[in-house]
Amino acid sequence: MSDLAYIDSYFKGELSPEERIKFEQRIHNVPAFAEEVAFYCSAVSTIKDQLVEEKKKQFRELYYNDKNKNKKARPSLVKKLWPYITAAAVITGIIVTLTIVTGPSSPQQMADKYIKEHFEVQMGVTMTDNADSLDAAMQLYNENKLPEALRKFEKIIQTDSIAYFPKKMAGIVSLRTGEYDKAIEYFIQLENLQLYSNPGKLYHALTLIKRNRAGDKEMATQLLKQVIDLKLEGKETARKWLKSL
Amino acid sequence: MSNAQNFLTDFDEQLISNLRGNGIIRSRGEEQLFTTYSYFIREGMNKYTMSEDEAFDAYSDTILSAIENVRNGSFEGRSSLKTWLYQVFNNKCVDLLRKRATNKNSVHQTASISDMLFQLSDTGKSIIQKLIEKSDWDMLKQKLSELGDACRRLLTLSADGYTDKEISTIMEYKTADVVKTSRLRCLEKLRQLYKRP
Repeated sequence: MSDLAYIDSYFKGELSPEERIKFEQRIHNVPAFAEEVAFYCSAVSTIKDQLVEEKKKQFRELYYNDKNKNKKARPSLVKKLWPYITAAAVITGIIVTLTIVTGPSSPQQMADKYIKEHFEVQMGVTMTDNADSLDAAMQLYNENKLPEALRKFEKIIQTDSIAYFPKKMAGIVSLRTGEYDKAIEYFIQLENLQLYSNPGKLYHALTLIKRNRAGDKEMATQLLKQVIDLKLEGKETARKWLKSL
Repeated sequence: MSNAQNFLTDFDEQLISNLRGNGIIRSRGEEQLFTTYSYFIREGMNKYTMSEDEAFDAYSDTILSAIENVRNGSFEGRSSLKTWLYQVFNNKCVDLLRKRATNKNSVHQTASISDMLFQLSDTGKSIIQKLIEKSDWDMLKQKLSELGDACRRLLTLSADGYTDKEISTIMEYKTADVVKTSRLRCLEKLRQLYKRP
């Protein structure tokens, strides 16, 4: 057994009590072995710390996103508002049913409607390490100064290539300005980020529907199916769109 | 846990089951746990006169610690999730305030190292601790980023508490033994990169 395998077995609790005693003795008697143990601990600890940082970053995005959207209510509030929520859900259900019954819109119309309802509104800023620059970029976005906003988002992306929010916004701005190829590039990058909630595939599909080149519809269909299968963000929307594609 | 289950609500049971799952189920569980009690942050700010960032740090530490304890079975359900989390959160807030008062900034985040060294005897711990203090953390981080994506993912999943068997399913390896061999090979590669002058 190599030293690393031996050390790994120790820390994973796979050694017998006698073997554990021998392990400890070896730390005392063989300096090179002690160095190996120290390396193992440092390496695993560094990986864990990076993982913790990554998770905290995701929690931060989640927290400030929710806060900005103001959609999440406290549990006690949910209880109090439950009758109203139920009523709203019933009304929404009726509206959705009526919309379906009165005839599906074309994919293009649906895409336009989604963009209008979700992207042509005042949007909140997600708190990240680049909060100040993001704030400025979002202000431009909310003032409908899209090319200027895009330049700001792209500048932030250059300094923080793994940032989620600027990529999402750069994609949305490109979509709104009709730069579909660029939007797709950003949404693909978004798809590849490990996030708890990732709309990358949905937005990618949306952009393909808008671009409407040969093969785009088929590709959008595949992406929407993945959104549903993988239970990604926007799966209800994906279901709706699939019906009209 | 059968005697303790009375304290857990159906919601708690479902959440715990998700946290003990793998892949996307676990991710959703973590997200759900975080968002459900995120109003603690506001309470921490009011109760301890903390900034939002400080309360957020205490809360996210609480959630990460809770996830680990739920997964490794340390949380036995002797109270509801909410009661337990609130207690942990309060402790984290007090720790944070104490740290702020004594201005004690650790050179390196030592929580994960302490957990590992806890397994060693006092003398063994002391030897390893001294050697660890000589580690070049920046270099280690940099070398870690030079490992391939597959290696990084393998090591990260293992550090995240997934067993080799679970990793074999997630990363589509044939067996847990293959995962272990690959994982150790990745660590060896990291060691070579780190030791290289």
